Amino acid sequence: MKRRCRAVGEWLRRRTGCDRVWETLFARHIPEAEGPTAWLYTLGSATLFIFVVQAVTGALLAMNYVPSPDHAYDSVRFINEKVLCGSFIHGLHHFGASFMVVLVVLHMLRVYFMGAYKYPREGTWMVGVVLLLVVIGFGFTGYLLPWDQKAYWATMVGTNIAGQTPFVGPLVSKILKGGGEMGASTLTRFYALHVLVLPAVVLLLIGIHLFLVVWHGISEPPERARRRGEGNPLG
Amino acid sequence: MTTGLGRCPCESEAEEQGVTRRGFLAGAAALLAGTIASVLGAAGLSYFVSPAFEKEDENWIDVGRASELRTGAPVKVDYVARKRDAWVVTEKRSSVWLSNLGGGRFIAFDPRCTHLGCPYRWDQGKQEFLCPCHAGVFDREGKVLSGPPPRPLDRFPVKVVSGRLLIRPVDEKGAA
Ligand code: HEM
Ligand code: HEM
Ligand code: FES
Repeated sequence: MKRRCRAVGEWLRRRTGCDRVWETLFARHIPEAEGPTAWLYTLGSATLFIFVVQAVTGALLAMNYVPSPDHAYDSVRFINEKVLCGSFIHGLHHFGASFMVVLVVLHMLRVYFMGAYKYPREGTWMVGVVLLLVVIGFGFTGYLLPWDQKAYWATMVGTNIAGQTPFVGPLVSKILKGGGEMGASTLTRFYALHVLVLPAVVLLLIGIHLFLVVWHGISEPPERARRRGEGNPLG
Repeated sequence: MTTGLGRCPCESEAEEQGVTRRGFLAGAAALLAGTIASVLGAAGLSYFVSPAFEKEDENWIDVGRASELRTGAPVKVDYVARKRDAWVVTEKRSSVWLSNLGGGRFIAFDPRCTHLGCPYRWDQGKQEFLCPCHAGVFDREGKVLSGPPPRPLDRFPVKVVSGRLLIRPVDEKGAA
């Protein structure tokens, strides 16, 4: 059995170089951080993990959710009350959404305060900034979907804020709402953004982000750099 | 997989005793990941496959008091069926021919002729059901007396619950 496994592994390795891929991705050198500092380095992976949870639970929710004003609310109620484990899956997605925003902000703060955005990692940071906006976009578009009072008025407020922008405001607000009034086309629009457009964008960006992380290697904590006399990143 | 990373010299001692720090942490991480994956996986899988284990909605429809249905002539009763399809509730107007045979025996006939689906009527004088489309004729128990219908009138399940007459309209395939 063990020999059989090894043979299959060898076969794969010769054809795909999967061992090299594994080594590059998971057997990299990482900073020798200790204690609380070391934990800060997990925030990016934690964000990634919650995203995967959101994608899985989101795909499940989409099996029963209907983005139409006459059924959206009832379909979410159906998920919560009738589908096996439905309230659990919905709950994971609901709380996961808030948690993901919190984590991504914490991750950004750790990168900022450790000065990890500096040369040569500016690209990683810039992709990160777009990621932050996309995650907030997920939260904004997802919030409307249950189509209850909270969802409706929160989105009313959100689109009205967009409407306050000088010159282009009214246009932006109309484009967001899919018309002058909030209604059926707002819901379908937000739904399409939430489950089709944003996931595609976020996957691409996470791909680039992680490629850059592996490419540059992860930065050392600033204290060590200072001890080595390479300048004081904390200013 | 070998990692190519340097190992702490202290590990070689512990290794001889069977547990390394690295091995322990790898095990703990695998256990945690396994727990998370199985909780999520089990919940997700139940959610996904749950339609297969759903009970059919029986959908009995109340068509009136049993005692008000007199023996003798069958009567046509109109009703509104509320049907739940997941989160959608649809109302469908329909009707049924009810016949009281006495002694607590009731028959509910599908109001569509078994030939090509026309609505038939009761002829009180002849004591027969007549279908206007192709002159199908049935007796009061639904048996074909003449004409093209290939089988007796279809019946719906009937039951009496605390004095109310309930029917369950099902189509040929048995779906409610
Ligand atoms: C979906 C959102 C995001 C995911 C999944 C993600 C994931 C990751 C991961 C796994 C790392 C490896 C190191 C670590 O975890 O600290 C990392 C590093 C990094 N992230 Fe993110 N990130 C996200 C958003 C952001 C945002 C919003 C920013 C900043 C605006 C950002 C900037 C960076 C930078 C500069 C690094 C390199 C840090 C270093 O080399 O020490 N990321 N990211
Ligand atoms: C990537 C794949 C994703 C898919 C396919 C997806 C799909 C869905 C669907 C179908 C709903 C409607 C059901 C409901 O309201 O419960 C929903 C709701 C929601 N989604 Fe997502 N989603 C995804 C990712 C995300 C992410 C990354 C976030 C947050 C950062 C998010 C935040 C929300 C929020 C706040 C709701 C409203 C939940 C509620 O309170 O009912 N979603 N999502
Ligand atoms: S449909 Fe009734 S006899 Fe043809």
